[in-house]
Amino acid sequence: MQFFSSGLFWFLEGIFACLFIIGFKYWAEDRGYIMSFWKWLLLGIWIVLFGFTLAFVGTSLGEGEPNAALFGGIIFGLITIISAVGLWRIVIRKS
Amino acid sequence: MAGKKLKKTINRRQFLKRAGAGSAVLGGAGMGFFGYQSGKDPESYTGWETHEGAQQSFNRKRWSVDKPHYKKVGPTKRADARTEVIFSRRPSLQRQWRDETGIDGLDEVLQDYYRRNPQDLELDLYAMKEIAPKQRADMQKYGDPFTLAMAWSNAMGAVSPPRINRPPAETDFLRNRRTGEPVESMKMKSPEKTSKLIKKISHELGSTLVGIAKLNPDWVYLYPMRGRGFESDQEIDIPKHWQYAIVVGSPMSWDPMYANPTYGTSNDAYSRSRIIAFRVASFIKQLGYAARPHTPGTDYDLMVPPILIDAGLGEQGRPSIVITPELGCNFRPAIITTNLPLKPDKPIDFGVQRFCKTCKICAENCPSGAISMGGMVEVRGYLRYKLDTAKCLNFWDSTLGSMGCRICVAVCPYTRKANWLHKTARDVIINDPTGLSDTVLTALQKRFYPGPDPQKYYIPSLGGENASYRKPPWWLRSEDFIDF
Repeated sequence: MQFFSSGLFWFLEGIFACLFIIGFKYWAEDRGYIMSFWKWLLLGIWIVLFGFTLAFVGTSLGEGEPNAALFGGIIFGLITIISAVGLWRIVIRKS
Repeated sequence: MAGKKLKKTINRRQFLKRAGAGSAVLGGAGMGFFGYQSGKDPESYTGWETHEGAQQSFNRKRWSVDKPHYKKVGPTKRADARTEVIFSRRPSLQRQWRDETGIDGLDEVLQDYYRRNPQDLELDLYAMKEIAPKQRADMQKYGDPFTLAMAWSNAMGAVSPPRINRPPAETDFLRNRRTGEPVESMKMKSPEKTSKLIKKISHELGSTLVGIAKLNPDWVYLYPMRGRGFESDQEIDIPKHWQYAIVVGSPMSWDPMYANPTYGTSNDAYSRSRIIAFRVASFIKQLGYAARPHTPGTDYDLMVPPILIDAGLGEQGRPSIVITPELGCNFRPAIITTNLPLKPDKPIDFGVQRFCKTCKICAENCPSGAISMGGMVEVRGYLRYKLDTAKCLNFWDSTLGSMGCRICVAVCPYTRKANWLHKTARDVIINDPTGLSDTVLTALQKRFYPGPDPQKYYIPSLGGENASYRKPPWWLRSEDFIDF
Protein backbone atom coordinates (compact mmCIF):
# COMPACT_ATOMS: atom_id res chain seq x y z
CA MET A 1 0.00 0.00 0.00
CA GLN A 2 1.42 3.33 -0.99
CA PHE A 3 0.70 6.42 1.07
CA PHE A 4 -1.14 8.48 -1.52
CA SER A 5 -3.65 5.74 -2.21
CA SER A 6 -4.05 4.79 1.44
CA GLY A 7 -6.94 5.45 3.78
CA LEU A 8 -4.65 7.59 5.95
CA PHE A 9 -4.05 9.95 3.04
CA TRP A 10 -7.78 10.52 2.49
CA PHE A 11 -8.24 10.93 6.25
CA LEU A 12 -5.63 13.71 6.21
CA GLU A 13 -7.23 15.25 3.12
CA GLY A 14 -10.51 15.31 5.05
CA ILE A 15 -8.84 17.12 7.94
CA PHE A 16 -7.29 19.63 5.52
CA ALA A 17 -10.67 20.21 3.92
CA CYS A 18 -12.30 20.83 7.31
CA LEU A 19 -9.54 23.22 8.37
CA PHE A 20 -9.82 25.07 5.08
CA ILE A 21 -13.58 25.46 5.43
CA ILE A 22 -13.31 26.68 9.05
CA GLY A 23 -10.46 29.05 8.16
CA PHE A 24 -12.38 30.34 5.15
CA LYS A 25 -15.48 30.89 7.29
CA TYR A 26 -13.55 33.00 9.82
CA TRP A 27 -11.78 34.86 7.05
CA ALA A 28 -15.10 35.70 5.35
CA GLU A 29 -16.72 36.73 8.64
CA ASP A 30 -13.80 39.02 9.53
CA ARG A 31 -14.19 40.80 6.21
CA GLY A 32 -17.93 41.01 6.44
CA TYR A 33 -18.65 38.66 3.50
CA ILE A 34 -21.91 36.86 3.92
CA MET A 35 -21.59 33.17 2.95
CA SER A 36 -25.01 31.90 1.90
CA PHE A 37 -25.51 28.18 1.22
CA TRP A 38 -25.22 28.61 -2.54
CA LYS A 39 -21.89 30.43 -2.13
CA TRP A 40 -20.69 27.48 -0.08
CA LEU A 41 -22.02 25.16 -2.80
CA LEU A 42 -20.14 27.04 -5.51
CA LEU A 43 -17.01 27.03 -3.37
CA GLY A 44 -17.35 23.27 -2.89
CA ILE A 45 -17.68 22.72 -6.65
CA TRP A 46 -14.66 24.91 -7.26
CA ILE A 47 -12.60 22.94 -4.72
CA VAL A 48 -13.48 19.73 -6.57
CA LEU A 49 -12.46 21.34 -9.87
CA PHE A 50 -9.20 22.56 -8.34
CA GLY A 51 -8.46 19.12 -6.92
CA PHE A 52 -9.37 17.48 -10.24
CA THR A 53 -6.98 19.74 -12.15
CA LEU A 54 -4.08 18.97 -9.84
CA ALA A 55 -4.87 15.26 -9.78
CA PHE A 56 -5.21 15.20 -13.59
CA VAL A 57 -1.81 16.77 -14.09
CA GLY A 58 -0.26 14.45 -11.49
CA THR A 59 -1.90 11.36 -12.97
CA SER A 60 -0.82 12.24 -16.50
CA LEU A 61 2.78 12.77 -15.37
CA GLY A 62 2.67 9.50 -13.43
CA GLU A 63 1.40 7.68 -16.51
CA GLY A 64 4.23 9.09 -18.57
CA GLU A 65 1.90 11.32 -20.60
CA PRO A 66 3.52 14.79 -20.48
CA ASN A 67 1.44 15.94 -23.41
CA ALA A 68 -1.77 15.17 -21.54
CA ALA A 69 -0.36 16.86 -18.42
CA LEU A 70 0.52 20.00 -20.39
CA PHE A 71 -2.69 20.39 -22.38
CA GLY A 72 -4.87 19.16 -19.53
CA GLY A 73 -3.07 21.52 -17.17
CA ILE A 74 -3.63 24.44 -19.55
CA ILE A 75 -7.29 23.65 -20.32
CA PHE A 76 -8.44 22.67 -16.83
CA GLY A 77 -6.07 25.19 -15.21
CA LEU A 78 -7.61 28.04 -17.23
CA ILE A 79 -11.10 26.86 -16.34
CA THR A 80 -10.06 26.71 -12.67
CA ILE A 81 -8.52 30.21 -12.71
CA ILE A 82 -11.42 31.81 -14.59
CA SER A 83 -13.97 30.17 -12.31
CA ALA A 84 -11.90 31.26 -9.28
CA VAL A 85 -12.13 34.89 -10.44
CA GLY A 86 -15.88 34.50 -10.97
CA LEU A 87 -16.25 32.84 -7.58
CA TRP A 88 -14.26 35.60 -5.90
CA ARG A 89 -16.57 38.24 -7.33
CA ILE A 90 -19.57 36.31 -6.06
CA VAL A 91 -18.11 35.72 -2.59
CA ILE A 92 -17.17 39.35 -1.95
CA ARG A 93 -20.71 40.52 -2.70
CA LYS A 94 -22.07 41.75 0.62
CA SER A 95 -25.64 40.73 -0.14
CA MET B 1 -10.38 39.50 32.23
CA ALA B 2 -12.71 40.26 29.31
CA GLY B 3 -9.80 41.74 27.38
CA LYS B 4 -7.71 38.59 27.93
CA LYS B 5 -10.58 36.36 26.66
CA LEU B 6 -11.05 38.50 23.57
CA LYS B 7 -7.34 38.30 22.80
CA LYS B 8 -7.45 34.49 23.14
CA THR B 9 -10.46 34.27 20.80
CA ILE B 10 -8.74 36.40 18.18
CA ASN B 11 -5.64 34.24 18.40
CA ARG B 12 -7.63 31.10 17.82
CA ARG B 13 -9.36 32.64 14.81
CA GLN B 14 -6.02 33.75 13.43
CA PHE B 15 -4.63 30.31 13.97
CA LEU B 16 -7.52 28.58 12.22
CA LYS B 17 -7.42 31.01 9.33
CA ARG B 18 -3.74 30.32 8.83
CA ALA B 19 -4.26 26.61 9.30
CA GLY B 20 -7.03 26.80 6.68
CA ALA B 21 -4.70 28.49 4.20
CA GLY B 22 -1.99 25.95 4.93
CA SER B 23 -4.47 23.12 4.55
CA ALA B 24 -5.49 24.41 1.14
CA VAL B 25 -1.87 24.24 0.02
CA LEU B 26 -1.24 20.83 1.58
CA GLY B 27 -4.55 19.42 0.35
CA GLY B 28 -3.88 20.68 -3.17
CA ALA B 29 -0.37 19.26 -3.15
CA GLY B 30 -1.77 16.00 -1.82
CA MET B 31 -4.16 15.79 -4.78
CA GLY B 32 -1.26 16.27 -7.15
CA PHE B 33 0.78 13.55 -5.47
CA PHE B 34 -2.26 11.29 -5.31
CA GLY B 35 -2.65 11.73 -9.06
CA TYR B 36 1.01 11.06 -9.72
CA GLN B 37 0.91 7.86 -7.73
CA SER B 38 -2.33 6.76 -9.42
CA GLY B 39 -0.69 7.27 -12.77
CA LYS B 40 2.36 5.21 -11.85
CA ASP B 41 0.60 2.60 -9.77
CA PRO B 42 0.99 -0.92 -11.24
CA GLU B 43 -2.32 -1.75 -9.60
CA SER B 44 -3.96 0.34 -12.30
CA TYR B 45 -2.70 -2.03 -15.00
CA THR B 46 -6.05 -3.28 -16.17
CA GLY B 47 -6.65 -6.91 -15.47
CA TRP B 48 -3.62 -7.48 -13.31
CA GLU B 49 -5.05 -6.58 -9.94
CA THR B 50 -6.19 -10.03 -8.96
CA HIS B 51 -6.66 -13.49 -10.29
CA GLU B 52 -9.78 -14.09 -8.27
CA GLY B 53 -12.19 -12.37 -10.60
CA ALA B 54 -12.48 -9.12 -8.68
CA GLN B 55 -11.37 -7.16 -11.71
CA GLN B 56 -14.35 -8.48 -13.62
CA SER B 57 -16.32 -6.04 -11.55
CA PHE B 58 -18.44 -4.41 -14.23
CA ASN B 59 -22.11 -4.74 -13.43
CA ARG B 60 -23.18 -6.68 -16.50
CA LYS B 61 -26.73 -7.25 -15.31
CA ARG B 62 -27.54 -3.59 -15.76
CA TRP B 63 -26.39 -3.66 -19.39
CA SER B 64 -27.51 -7.13 -20.39
CA VAL B 65 -29.75 -7.49 -23.40
CA ASP B 66 -31.65 -10.42 -24.83
CA LYS B 67 -30.02 -10.37 -28.25
CA PRO B 68 -26.42 -9.63 -29.23
CA HIS B 69 -25.77 -6.37 -31.08
CA TYR B 70 -24.77 -7.94 -34.40
CA LYS B 71 -27.62 -8.13 -36.86
CA LYS B 72 -28.52 -10.99 -39.14
CA VAL B 73 -29.19 -9.39 -42.51
CA GLY B 74 -29.12 -12.30 -44.93
CA PRO B 75 -28.62 -16.01 -45.25
CA THR B 76 -25.77 -16.98 -42.98
CA LYS B 77 -22.94 -19.34 -43.73
CA ARG B 78 -20.04 -20.71 -41.79
CA ALA B 79 -16.48 -19.57 -42.49
CA ASP B 80 -14.09 -21.65 -44.54
CA ALA B 81 -11.00 -21.55 -42.34
CA ARG B 82 -8.79 -22.83 -45.13
CA THR B 83 -9.07 -19.55 -47.02
CA GLU B 84 -10.94 -17.01 -44.93
CA VAL B 85 -8.59 -17.40 -41.98
CA ILE B 86 -5.38 -15.78 -43.06
CA PHE B 87 -3.20 -17.88 -40.73
CA SER B 88 -4.36 -20.89 -42.68
CA ARG B 89 -4.44 -19.38 -46.18
CA ARG B 90 -0.97 -17.84 -46.24
CA PRO B 91 0.97 -20.97 -45.27
CA SER B 92 -0.95 -22.84 -47.99
CA LEU B 93 -0.03 -20.18 -50.54
CA GLN B 94 3.61 -20.30 -49.46
CA ARG B 95 3.67 -24.05 -49.93
CA GLN B 96 1.98 -24.03 -53.30
CA TRP B 97 3.02 -20.85 -55.08
CA ARG B 98 5.30 -21.10 -58.10
CA ASP B 99 5.97 -18.01 -60.20
CA GLU B 100 5.98 -20.03 -63.40
CA THR B 101 2.50 -21.49 -62.86
CA GLY B 102 0.96 -18.61 -60.93
CA ILE B 103 -2.59 -18.96 -59.69
CA ASP B 104 -3.16 -21.99 -61.95
CA GLY B 105 -0.66 -23.94 -59.88
CA LEU B 106 -2.69 -23.60 -56.69
CA ASP B 107 -5.17 -26.16 -55.46
CA GLU B 108 -8.82 -25.67 -56.32
CA VAL B 109 -9.77 -24.20 -52.98
CA LEU B 110 -7.12 -21.48 -53.09
CA GLN B 111 -7.69 -20.82 -56.78
CA ASP B 112 -11.37 -20.32 -56.19
CA TYR B 113 -10.74 -17.98 -53.27
CA TYR B 114 -8.11 -15.87 -55.00
CA ARG B 115 -10.13 -15.57 -58.20
CA ARG B 116 -12.96 -14.14 -56.08
CA ASN B 117 -10.57 -12.01 -54.00
CA PRO B 118 -7.69 -10.94 -56.28
CA GLN B 119 -6.72 -8.12 -53.89
CA ASP B 120 -5.91 -10.73 -51.24
CA LEU B 121 -3.63 -12.60 -53.65
CA GLU B 122 -1.80 -9.36 -54.33
CA LEU B 123 -1.40 -8.62 -50.62
CA ASP B 124 -0.44 -12.21 -49.74
CA LEU B 125 2.20 -12.28 -52.46
CA TYR B 126 3.46 -8.86 -51.41
CA ALA B 127 3.97 -10.23 -47.89
CA MET B 128 5.86 -13.22 -49.23
CA LYS B 129 8.02 -11.52 -51.82
CA GLU B 130 8.55 -7.97 -50.56
CA ILE B 131 7.88 -7.71 -46.86
CA ALA B 132 9.58 -10.86 -45.60
CA PRO B 133 13.00 -10.15 -47.19
CA LYS B 134 12.91 -6.50 -46.17
CA GLN B 135 11.94 -7.42 -42.62
CA ARG B 136 14.82 -9.89 -42.39
CA ALA B 137 17.32 -7.36 -43.74
CA ASP B 138 16.11 -4.61 -41.40
CA MET B 139 16.19 -7.00 -38.48
CA GLN B 140 19.89 -7.54 -39.11
CA LYS B 141 20.50 -3.83 -39.36
CA TYR B 142 18.17 -2.32 -36.75
CA GLY B 143 17.17 -5.27 -34.57
CA ASP B 144 19.51 -4.83 -31.57
CA PRO B 145 17.24 -2.55 -29.49
CA PHE B 146 14.54 -5.21 -29.61
CA THR B 147 16.66 -8.07 -28.30
CA LEU B 148 15.09 -8.10 -24.83
CA ALA B 149 11.57 -7.68 -26.23
CA MET B 150 12.09 -10.73 -28.43
CA ALA B 151 13.64 -12.74 -25.60
CA TRP B 152 10.76 -11.84 -23.32
CA SER B 153 8.14 -12.66 -25.95
CA ASN B 154 9.75 -16.00 -26.70
CA ALA B 155 10.01 -16.75 -22.99
CA MET B 156 6.28 -16.10 -22.57
CA GLY B 157 5.55 -18.51 -25.39
CA ALA B 158 8.03 -21.15 -24.23
CA VAL B 159 5.56 -23.11 -22.12
CA SER B 160 2.52 -24.41 -23.88
CA PRO B 161 0.19 -27.39 -23.66
CA PRO B 162 0.51 -29.82 -26.57
CA ARG B 163 -1.53 -28.99 -29.66
CA ILE B 164 -4.79 -30.85 -30.13
CA ASN B 165 -4.33 -32.63 -33.43
CA ARG B 166 -6.91 -35.40 -33.16
CA PRO B 167 -10.68 -35.25 -33.83
CA PRO B 168 -13.11 -34.34 -31.03
CA ALA B 169 -14.34 -37.90 -30.53
CA GLU B 170 -10.82 -38.91 -29.54
CA THR B 171 -9.66 -35.91 -27.53
CA ASP B 172 -12.68 -34.30 -25.90
CA PHE B 173 -13.44 -37.05 -23.38
CA LEU B 174 -11.62 -38.39 -20.36
CA ARG B 175 -11.46 -42.13 -20.84
CA ASN B 176 -11.24 -45.00 -18.44
CA ARG B 177 -7.67 -46.32 -18.69
CA ARG B 178 -8.79 -49.96 -18.59
CA THR B 179 -11.85 -49.96 -20.81
CA GLY B 180 -11.10 -46.97 -23.01
CA GLU B 181 -14.69 -45.81 -22.56
CA PRO B 182 -15.50 -42.19 -21.61
CA VAL B 183 -15.81 -41.84 -17.84
CA GLU B 184 -19.31 -41.49 -16.46
CA SER B 185 -20.71 -37.95 -16.18
CA MET B 186 -21.38 -36.78 -12.65
CA LYS B 187 -24.86 -35.56 -11.90
CA MET B 188 -24.65 -31.82 -11.42
CA LYS B 189 -27.23 -30.17 -9.16
CA SER B 190 -28.14 -27.29 -11.48
CA PRO B 191 -26.73 -25.39 -14.49
CA GLU B 192 -26.73 -22.17 -12.43
CA LYS B 193 -24.57 -23.70 -9.71
CA THR B 194 -22.29 -25.33 -12.28
CA SER B 195 -21.83 -22.01 -14.11
CA LYS B 196 -20.91 -20.30 -10.87
CA LEU B 197 -18.44 -23.06 -10.12
CA ILE B 198 -16.83 -22.96 -13.56
CA LYS B 199 -16.43 -19.18 -13.37
CA LYS B 200 -14.81 -19.40 -9.96
CA ILE B 201 -12.49 -22.19 -11.08
CA SER B 202 -11.54 -20.23 -14.22
CA HIS B 203 -10.68 -17.17 -12.15
CA GLU B 204 -8.72 -19.31 -9.72
CA LEU B 205 -6.83 -20.77 -12.66
CA GLY B 206 -5.78 -17.28 -13.67
CA SER B 207 -8.47 -16.00 -15.99
CA THR B 208 -9.38 -12.33 -15.69
CA LEU B 209 -12.49 -12.70 -17.86
CA VAL B 210 -14.96 -15.57 -17.91
CA GLY B 211 -18.23 -15.87 -19.78
CA ILE B 212 -20.53 -18.63 -20.95
CA ALA B 213 -22.54 -18.89 -24.17
CA LYS B 214 -24.72 -21.44 -25.86
CA LEU B 215 -22.67 -22.34 -28.92
CA ASN B 216 -24.15 -20.90 -32.12
CA PRO B 217 -23.29 -23.35 -34.94
CA ASP B 218 -22.72 -20.38 -37.29
CA TRP B 219 -19.47 -19.69 -35.46
CA VAL B 220 -17.96 -23.13 -36.08
CA TYR B 221 -15.77 -23.27 -39.18
CA LEU B 222 -17.29 -24.99 -42.18
CA TYR B 223 -13.88 -26.30 -43.20
CA PRO B 224 -11.16 -26.60 -40.57
CA MET B 225 -7.81 -25.00 -39.91
CA ARG B 226 -4.90 -27.35 -40.39
CA GLY B 227 -3.70 -29.66 -37.66
CA ARG B 228 -6.86 -29.94 -35.58
CA GLY B 229 -7.70 -33.51 -36.41
CA PHE B 230 -10.23 -32.81 -39.15
CA GLU B 231 -9.92 -33.71 -42.82
CA SER B 232 -9.23 -30.46 -44.64
CA ASP B 233 -11.50 -31.32 -47.56
CA GLN B 234 -14.45 -32.33 -45.40
CA GLU B 235 -16.96 -30.07 -43.75
CA ILE B 236 -16.79 -30.06 -39.96
CA ASP B 237 -19.72 -32.07 -38.68
CA ILE B 238 -20.32 -30.16 -35.45
CA PRO B 239 -20.06 -32.67 -32.60
CA LYS B 240 -23.20 -32.97 -30.50
CA HIS B 241 -21.21 -32.40 -27.34
CA TRP B 242 -20.22 -28.87 -28.41
CA GLN B 243 -23.24 -27.36 -26.71
CA TYR B 244 -21.75 -24.58 -24.67
CA ALA B 245 -18.73 -22.33 -25.03
CA ILE B 246 -16.82 -21.11 -22.01
CA VAL B 247 -14.70 -18.04 -22.73
CA VAL B 248 -11.60 -17.27 -20.70
CA GLY B 249 -9.34 -14.29 -21.24
CA SER B 250 -6.11 -12.82 -19.99
CA PRO B 251 -4.68 -9.31 -20.47
CA MET B 252 -1.47 -8.49 -22.26
CA SER B 253 1.21 -6.90 -20.06
CA TRP B 254 0.52 -3.22 -19.83
CA ASP B 255 3.82 -1.44 -20.44
CA PRO B 256 4.95 -3.48 -23.46
CA MET B 257 1.42 -3.24 -24.89
CA TYR B 258 1.73 0.53 -24.68
CA ALA B 259 5.04 0.31 -26.57
CA ASN B 260 3.49 -1.52 -29.50
CA PRO B 261 4.28 -2.51 -32.16
CA THR B 262 7.99 -3.07 -31.62
CA TYR B 263 8.14 -3.97 -27.93
CA GLY B 264 4.74 -5.51 -27.33
CA THR B 265 3.77 -9.11 -27.76
CA SER B 266 0.65 -11.24 -27.86
CA ASN B 267 2.56 -14.24 -26.57
CA ASP B 268 2.07 -13.43 -22.89
CA ALA B 269 -1.72 -13.41 -23.02
CA TYR B 270 -1.78 -16.17 -25.65
CA SER B 271 0.23 -18.41 -23.40
CA ARG B 272 -1.75 -17.66 -20.24
CA SER B 273 -5.12 -18.06 -21.94
CA ARG B 274 -4.01 -21.29 -23.58
CA ILE B 275 -2.84 -22.77 -20.31
CA ILE B 276 -6.01 -21.63 -18.51
CA ALA B 277 -8.22 -23.14 -21.23
CA PHE B 278 -6.45 -26.50 -21.00
CA ARG B 279 -6.77 -26.46 -17.23
CA VAL B 280 -10.47 -25.62 -17.36
CA ALA B 281 -10.96 -28.37 -19.94
CA SER B 282 -9.15 -30.80 -17.66
CA PHE B 283 -11.38 -29.80 -14.75
CA ILE B 284 -14.53 -30.40 -16.80
CA LYS B 285 -13.30 -33.73 -18.11
CA GLN B 286 -12.72 -34.93 -14.58
CA LEU B 287 -16.40 -34.29 -13.90
CA GLY B 288 -17.10 -36.73 -16.74
CA TYR B 289 -18.05 -34.21 -19.42
CA ALA B 290 -16.52 -33.45 -22.80
CA ALA B 291 -14.27 -30.43 -23.21
CA ARG B 292 -12.13 -29.12 -26.06
CA PRO B 293 -9.93 -26.02 -25.84
CA HIS B 294 -9.75 -23.62 -28.80
CA THR B 295 -6.71 -21.53 -28.13
CA PRO B 296 -4.49 -18.80 -29.53
CA GLY B 297 -2.50 -18.30 -31.74
CA THR B 298 -4.00 -20.65 -34.36
CA ASP B 299 -5.60 -23.67 -32.70
CA TYR B 300 -9.29 -23.07 -33.29
CA ASP B 301 -12.26 -24.89 -34.77
CA LEU B 302 -14.42 -21.80 -34.47
CA MET B 303 -14.50 -18.02 -34.60
CA VAL B 304 -13.84 -16.49 -31.23
CA PRO B 305 -15.13 -12.86 -31.24
CA PRO B 306 -18.84 -13.61 -31.77
CA ILE B 307 -18.75 -16.14 -28.94
CA LEU B 308 -17.36 -13.46 -26.63
CA ILE B 309 -20.26 -11.24 -27.63
CA ASP B 310 -22.77 -14.04 -27.03
CA ALA B 311 -21.18 -14.69 -23.63
CA GLY B 312 -21.72 -11.07 -22.60
CA LEU B 313 -18.05 -10.22 -22.23
CA GLY B 314 -18.15 -7.28 -24.61
CA GLU B 315 -19.10 -5.87 -27.97
CA GLN B 316 -17.35 -5.89 -31.31
CA GLY B 317 -15.54 -2.60 -31.88
CA ARG B 318 -14.37 -0.87 -35.04
CA PRO B 319 -11.04 -2.77 -35.13
CA SER B 320 -13.16 -5.91 -35.42
CA ILE B 321 -12.01 -7.26 -32.09
CA VAL B 322 -14.11 -7.37 -28.95
CA ILE B 323 -14.06 -4.49 -26.48
CA THR B 324 -14.84 -5.35 -22.87
CA PRO B 325 -15.80 -2.87 -20.15
CA GLU B 326 -12.91 -3.94 -17.93
CA LEU B 327 -9.95 -4.40 -20.26
CA GLY B 328 -11.02 -2.61 -23.42
CA CYS B 329 -9.45 -4.78 -26.09
CA ASN B 330 -6.25 -5.47 -24.19
CA PHE B 331 -6.74 -9.19 -23.75
CA ARG B 332 -6.50 -12.49 -25.59
CA PRO B 333 -9.29 -15.04 -25.20
CA ALA B 334 -9.60 -18.80 -25.49
CA ILE B 335 -12.70 -20.98 -25.70
CA ILE B 336 -13.66 -24.34 -24.24
CA THR B 337 -16.52 -26.17 -25.92
CA THR B 338 -18.34 -28.59 -23.68
CA ASN B 339 -21.52 -30.50 -22.94
CA LEU B 340 -21.38 -29.70 -19.22
CA PRO B 341 -24.87 -28.29 -18.52
CA LEU B 342 -24.42 -24.56 -17.94
CA LYS B 343 -26.50 -21.42 -17.71
CA PRO B 344 -25.41 -19.07 -20.52
CA ASP B 345 -24.75 -15.41 -19.80
CA LYS B 346 -26.63 -12.69 -21.62
CA PRO B 347 -24.99 -10.39 -24.17
CA ILE B 348 -24.34 -6.81 -23.07
CA ASP B 349 -24.81 -3.43 -24.71
CA PHE B 350 -22.73 -0.79 -22.97
CA GLY B 351 -22.57 1.66 -25.86
CA VAL B 352 -19.55 0.50 -27.86
CA GLN B 353 -21.48 0.50 -31.14
CA ARG B 354 -22.43 4.15 -30.72
CA PHE B 355 -18.98 5.13 -29.45
CA CYS B 356 -17.06 3.44 -32.28
CA LYS B 357 -19.17 5.28 -34.86
CA THR B 358 -17.76 8.62 -33.74
CA CYS B 359 -14.36 7.74 -32.26
CA LYS B 360 -12.33 6.19 -35.13
CA ILE B 361 -9.03 6.70 -33.24
CA CYS B 362 -8.00 3.12 -34.05
CA ALA B 363 -8.64 3.60 -37.77
CA GLU B 364 -6.76 6.91 -37.81
CA ASN B 365 -3.76 5.35 -36.06
CA CYS B 366 -3.74 2.04 -37.96
CA PRO B 367 -0.50 2.00 -39.95
CA SER B 368 -1.79 -0.52 -42.50
CA GLY B 369 -5.19 1.03 -43.17
CA ALA B 370 -6.79 -2.30 -42.33
CA ILE B 371 -9.39 -0.76 -40.03
CA SER B 372 -12.31 0.75 -41.89
CA MET B 373 -13.26 4.40 -41.44
CA GLY B 374 -16.68 3.50 -42.80
CA GLY B 375 -19.59 1.65 -41.33
CA MET B 376 -20.46 -1.99 -40.85
CA VAL B 377 -20.72 -4.38 -43.78
CA GLU B 378 -22.39 -7.73 -44.30
CA VAL B 379 -20.11 -10.66 -43.65
CA ARG B 380 -21.55 -14.14 -44.14
CA GLY B 381 -25.05 -12.84 -43.40
CA TYR B 382 -24.18 -10.70 -40.38
CA LEU B 383 -23.71 -6.94 -40.19
CA ARG B 384 -20.39 -6.10 -38.53
CA TYR B 385 -17.16 -4.14 -38.77
CA LYS B 386 -14.74 -5.88 -41.08
CA LEU B 387 -10.99 -5.80 -40.70
CA ASP B 388 -8.84 -6.20 -43.82
CA THR B 389 -6.82 -9.06 -42.36
CA ALA B 390 -4.37 -9.21 -45.26
CA LYS B 391 -3.35 -5.57 -44.80
CA CYS B 392 -3.26 -6.06 -41.04
CA LEU B 393 -1.04 -9.13 -41.16
CA ASN B 394 1.24 -7.52 -43.73
CA PHE B 395 2.08 -4.86 -41.21
CA TRP B 396 2.37 -7.45 -38.39
CA ASP B 397 4.89 -9.38 -40.42
CA SER B 398 6.90 -6.30 -41.31
CA THR B 399 7.73 -5.07 -37.82
CA LEU B 400 10.86 -5.76 -35.86
CA GLY B 401 11.02 -6.89 -32.25
CA SER B 402 8.64 -9.61 -31.22
CA MET B 403 6.56 -8.82 -34.30
CA GLY B 404 2.95 -7.81 -34.47
CA CYS B 405 1.15 -4.54 -34.19
CA ARG B 406 -1.69 -4.11 -31.66
CA ILE B 407 -1.69 -0.33 -32.14
CA CYS B 408 -5.49 -0.48 -32.20
CA VAL B 409 -5.37 -2.08 -28.76
CA ALA B 410 -3.00 0.56 -27.38
CA VAL B 411 -4.92 3.60 -28.68
CA CYS B 412 -8.47 2.43 -27.91
CA PRO B 413 -10.02 4.77 -25.31
CA TYR B 414 -11.52 1.74 -23.56
CA THR B 415 -8.02 0.27 -23.16
CA ARG B 416 -6.65 2.56 -20.55
CA LYS B 417 -5.39 2.07 -17.04
CA ALA B 418 -7.83 1.28 -14.29
CA ASN B 419 -7.08 4.46 -12.36
CA TRP B 420 -9.61 7.03 -11.17
CA LEU B 421 -9.22 9.19 -14.28
CA HIS B 422 -9.87 6.63 -16.98
CA LYS B 423 -12.41 4.70 -14.95
CA THR B 424 -14.39 7.91 -14.52
CA ALA B 425 -14.13 8.71 -18.24
CA ARG B 426 -15.31 5.19 -19.09
CA ASP B 427 -18.22 5.43 -16.66
CA VAL B 428 -19.27 8.80 -18.09
CA ILE B 429 -19.27 7.37 -21.62
CA ILE B 430 -21.19 4.27 -20.61
CA ASN B 431 -23.81 6.14 -18.60
CA ASP B 432 -24.36 9.13 -20.88
CA PRO B 433 -27.55 8.49 -22.89
CA THR B 434 -27.06 11.56 -25.11
CA GLY B 435 -23.76 10.52 -26.68
CA LEU B 436 -22.37 14.03 -26.12
CA SER B 437 -19.58 12.69 -23.92
CA ASP B 438 -18.49 10.38 -26.78
CA THR B 439 -17.66 13.43 -28.88
CA VAL B 440 -16.08 15.46 -26.07
CA LEU B 441 -13.97 12.68 -24.59
CA THR B 442 -12.86 11.43 -28.01
CA ALA B 443 -11.69 14.96 -28.86
CA LEU B 444 -9.81 15.16 -25.54
CA GLN B 445 -8.30 11.72 -26.10
CA LYS B 446 -6.98 12.79 -29.51
CA ARG B 447 -5.57 16.03 -28.07
CA PHE B 448 -4.10 14.54 -24.90
CA TYR B 449 -2.78 11.17 -26.08
CA PRO B 450 -1.53 11.53 -29.67
CA GLY B 451 0.59 8.81 -31.25
CA PRO B 452 3.28 9.12 -33.89
CA ASP B 453 2.38 9.52 -37.57
CA PRO B 454 1.30 5.95 -38.47
CA GLN B 455 3.88 5.80 -41.28
CA LYS B 456 6.63 6.05 -38.65
CA TYR B 457 5.66 2.64 -37.26
CA TYR B 458 7.04 0.98 -40.39
CA ILE B 459 10.56 -0.37 -40.71
CA PRO B 460 13.07 1.90 -42.49
CA SER B 461 13.00 -0.22 -45.67
CA LEU B 462 9.29 0.48 -45.92
CA GLY B 463 9.65 4.19 -45.24
CA GLY B 464 9.29 4.23 -41.45
CA GLU B 465 11.33 4.73 -38.30
CA ASN B 466 10.53 1.64 -36.15
CA ALA B 467 8.45 3.93 -33.93
CA SER B 468 6.42 2.67 -31.01
CA TYR B 469 3.25 4.22 -29.57
CA ARG B 470 5.01 4.98 -26.31
CA LYS B 471 8.53 4.37 -24.98
CA PRO B 472 9.33 0.84 -23.84
CA PRO B 473 9.47 0.04 -20.12
CA TRP B 474 12.91 0.12 -18.55
CA TRP B 475 13.19 -3.66 -18.48
CA LEU B 476 12.86 -3.96 -22.26
CA ARG B 477 15.47 -1.34 -23.16
CA SER B 478 18.17 -3.64 -24.46
CA GLU B 479 20.78 -0.90 -24.83
CA ASP B 480 20.68 -0.31 -21.06
CA PHE B 481 21.61 -3.93 -20.32
CA ILE B 482 23.50 -5.34 -23.29
CA ASP B 483 26.77 -4.08 -24.69
CA PHE B 484 26.12 -4.39 -28.43
